[in-house]
Amino acid sequence: MSSDYSYDEQGQFFPFFILTVTGLVTFPLTYSLFRKSTDNDALAPRIKSDYTSKHGDVVTSLRAAQKRKQRKIKRVIFVVLGWALMAGMVYLIIVTQTIVPKIWNPYDILGISESFTEKQIKSHYKRLSVKFHPDKVRPDPSKNETLEMLNDRYVELTKAYQALTDEDVRNNYIQYGHPDGKQSFSIGIALPQFIIAEGNGKYLILLYTGLMGILLPYMVGSWWYGTKRMSKEGVLMESANRLFRHYNEEIDEGGIITALSTGKEFEAVLKGDQAESGLSKVESRITAEGESAPFACGFSVKDKEKLEDLDSGVRRKVLALLWAYLGRVELDDPALTKAKFEVGAIARTLNQSFAAIAMAFGSIGPIAGSFKANQHLIQALSPKSSPLLQLPHINDKVAAAIEGDSKSHLSVQQFMDLPDAERRRLAIGKDLLSEDQYKEAISVGKQLPYFRVAKAFFKVTGEKVIIPSSLVTLVIKGRFIPPGTESVPAIDELSLEDIDPAEDDLDALMGRKKKTIKGPDGKPITVEDNSVLPPLTFAPHYARDHSPKWYAFLSDSKQDKMAVPPFTFDKFDQPLFDGEGKPTFNMQTLKAQFAAPPQPGHYTFCMHVVCDSYVGFDTKMEVTLVVEDASKAAQMEAEDEISEPEEDSIAGQMRALKTGQPVGGEPKPRRNKDSSDEESGTDEEEDDTSDTNTDTEDES
Amino acid sequence: MFDIDWKGLALPFAYLIVLGGALMTFSTIYRRRKAAESANLAPWFGPHLQRDIYLSLLHLDPEEGAEKAPKVPDGVLRAALLRRAVEDIERLIHIKTAKQACGALLQRGSVGDDLWQRFLRAEKEMEEELRDVVTEANALAPNWGSIIFQSAHEIAANTKLRQRLEEIQAQTDAEKAWWDKKRGQIRADFMKELEESEKGSTKDAHEDDAVVVDSPKK
Repeated sequence: MSSDYSYDEQGQFFPFFILTVTGLVTFPLTYSLFRKSTDNDALAPRIKSDYTSKHGDVVTSLRAAQKRKQRKIKRVIFVVLGWALMAGMVYLIIVTQTIVPKIWNPYDILGISESFTEKQIKSHYKRLSVKFHPDKVRPDPSKNETLEMLNDRYVELTKAYQALTDEDVRNNYIQYGHPDGKQSFSIGIALPQFIIAEGNGKYLILLYTGLMGILLPYMVGSWWYGTKRMSKEGVLMESANRLFRHYNEEIDEGGIITALSTGKEFEAVLKGDQAESGLSKVESRITAEGESAPFACGFSVKDKEKLEDLDSGVRRKVLALLWAYLGRVELDDPALTKAKFEVGAIARTLNQSFAAIAMAFGSIGPIAGSFKANQHLIQALSPKSSPLLQLPHINDKVAAAIEGDSKSHLSVQQFMDLPDAERRRLAIGKDLLSEDQYKEAISVGKQLPYFRVAKAFFKVTGEKVIIPSSLVTLVIKGRFIPPGTESVPAIDELSLEDIDPAEDDLDALMGRKKKTIKGPDGKPITVEDNSVLPPLTFAPHYARDHSPKWYAFLSDSKQDKMAVPPFTFDKFDQPLFDGEGKPTFNMQTLKAQFAAPPQPGHYTFCMHVVCDSYVGFDTKMEVTLVVEDASKAAQMEAEDEISEPEEDSIAGQMRALKTGQPVGGEPKPRRNKDSSDEESGTDEEEDDTSDTNTDTEDES
Repeated sequence: MFDIDWKGLALPFAYLIVLGGALMTFSTIYRRRKAAESANLAPWFGPHLQRDIYLSLLHLDPEEGAEKAPKVPDGVLRAALLRRAVEDIERLIHIKTAKQACGALLQRGSVGDDLWQRFLRAEKEMEEELRDVVTEANALAPNWGSIIFQSAHEIAANTKLRQRLEEIQAQTDAEKAWWDKKRGQIRADFMKELEESEKGSTKDAHEDDAVVVDSPKK
């Protein structure tokens, strides 16, 4: 009995091994490569418009370049190599003959069928032994036989015969598959012979050192430093640090723009002699007198001073280009124009990082500033310019003509709400819009997704009142009504209610992707939540595709601090527009969960619903959160107890856990009618006994 | 005695040497880089001008030919120290507000580790600076150290308020011009409707002007 390792000399097994290992890596990679893109930007519908800005081709080429950058070249190469390797292995498997180890079978050796009786076997063996006995036959030189071979053959025959007749030998055969007892076995390693062949050792060590000593540390190191190099918001750590240094509580939008110019990312765009070339030209263009503002790019004197305080170099050029981008200033130079659009797109990514920093500080001023900066960067508008510039063909001059001599700007909604004749009178004319341009502008305006909040209230799922420290849901109901839509249908009161899922519906209670609507018989039923994407942002100057997101957050208006950090909404449960691009006026539900304050009382918050892509589409309203004392809440529930509690219901058990009371006080599963009057909503009378806001700090 | 196959042992030894060498190189390079990084960390705050003024007043070099340095009046020294304290208060407020945010951002991975290192160092420097100011204040006048920062805080707050006021005041001219223009326009429109008594009403309006435009100073 011996057990030694045999290597795969014939190359039978290692192709299988390599095929499996490569397949394990290649198949998932291929899947990830060919999976249908879940990227919002690719799937979202577009706002229909034929409008291209003057430098539309530059913007388009920059967008395409960005997409190319996002394509995973490395992954493609890897997958191709993987498939090539697998194909090679399959080829090897096919061409290599497989050697099947022979199984020792006495019937085959004797040349008889298995149905032979012992008697027949005996007689057959006798005949064979006469024929093959080494004493009887002579070696046949023509068949290249020797005496030994004849001997062996005879021994084999005898063994086979014994295996079938002799008791001991038969036992051996049954147990070990061979009449001689246990045979030696070998363990194969699926490595080709050449790997361990004499003389190849040094190459192997070299390979091993290369893999373990150089490649592995390099990959781990590059991964580690890669994660440390980029911040969570996807900007370089260095840029995030600089933004943090530039943060202050009084920063306004112009200040944010100035801070954004510190980004390290810009250095890659403006390399070498690009760092300063054309700076004086850009500066003279942006500081020239504008149509409606003192400067063409629309910045304030303070911002101008900030620009002039900078040393010339990349940063100063970036800031100048950024202002040129925001002011839509013509630069008459292909290189500068390209840099201008690129800089605008990068600044928006940096602004994400600034928003995170502002959020950490919690002051509402800079947070609102960063949201505004985001909108303005996407729409290429300077902070104080008119929101009307978001519409195609409208420039400073047209906007000024439309707004007349008013101090405040007209928002897109206000303009679109004017009667058509009035709009035409203001916008069409010599030096203003032509008929076609006007139509284009209006058609785009009527496709912009303006989210109009209908109602906002607080509730705790499955409860009547909000008790301290419970998990409150802020429910925002609203509809997408594009500016200038005529005949907006009235709000369906039923759609304003937020229905709790039935108590036996685990999926919905666990917060899986479902939503609850009221079934035909009035019972809540839960249907699959289909996520609908809003149309891609109409931003002809922004060098990236961007799908709009909405943010909802609560602020404490007395302290100017953020109370509940923003929740992001980029998908909705009902379609915004129908197939023909007409608004559907579906009631959308936005939900955000947070923990209620630990003390009972009335808390008045300022709720902000902000769209990150369009200027002037923000909503700000006051909401009151009424937190009841836990004992009072329990009492209230005991009062309107109607029927026997359902001890086996999940809500019942949760309630028992929460209050520590026996389930005796459990109310009947609520009917939907109740929900609307018990939530503390915006329509509550406001007696503000909030005790949180008393310590407003006084300056000095 | 033993027959050692030195040639055969060469390979394992080479392996050990290469391994040890690689690890050592890594650690030295890493440490050197770390040290260089922390040495090169940019200071959180810019140069402290007020402190420099105070210190140079305190250690004035004697002029050429003169034996003793000119005596700086106590009042000037005190004023310089107070200015220094005001600047310190501003920096202190900045550090106090930034600390929590910086920590939270670091934990989330939104800002880098070196920013935090710089911050901690600035905080330490600030403590030293405050202590120094207190001792200096006590040296100039007994027990001043305990109240110097109170006064400095008030000065800082007042300066801020004044700045805000000035900013608002600075807008007056633009606003005034705009309102003038607006009024002129409204008046022109009005005139078209009432074409009869032109001259008389313009004069009246001028007198109105002065009343409306007069914005309260302070």
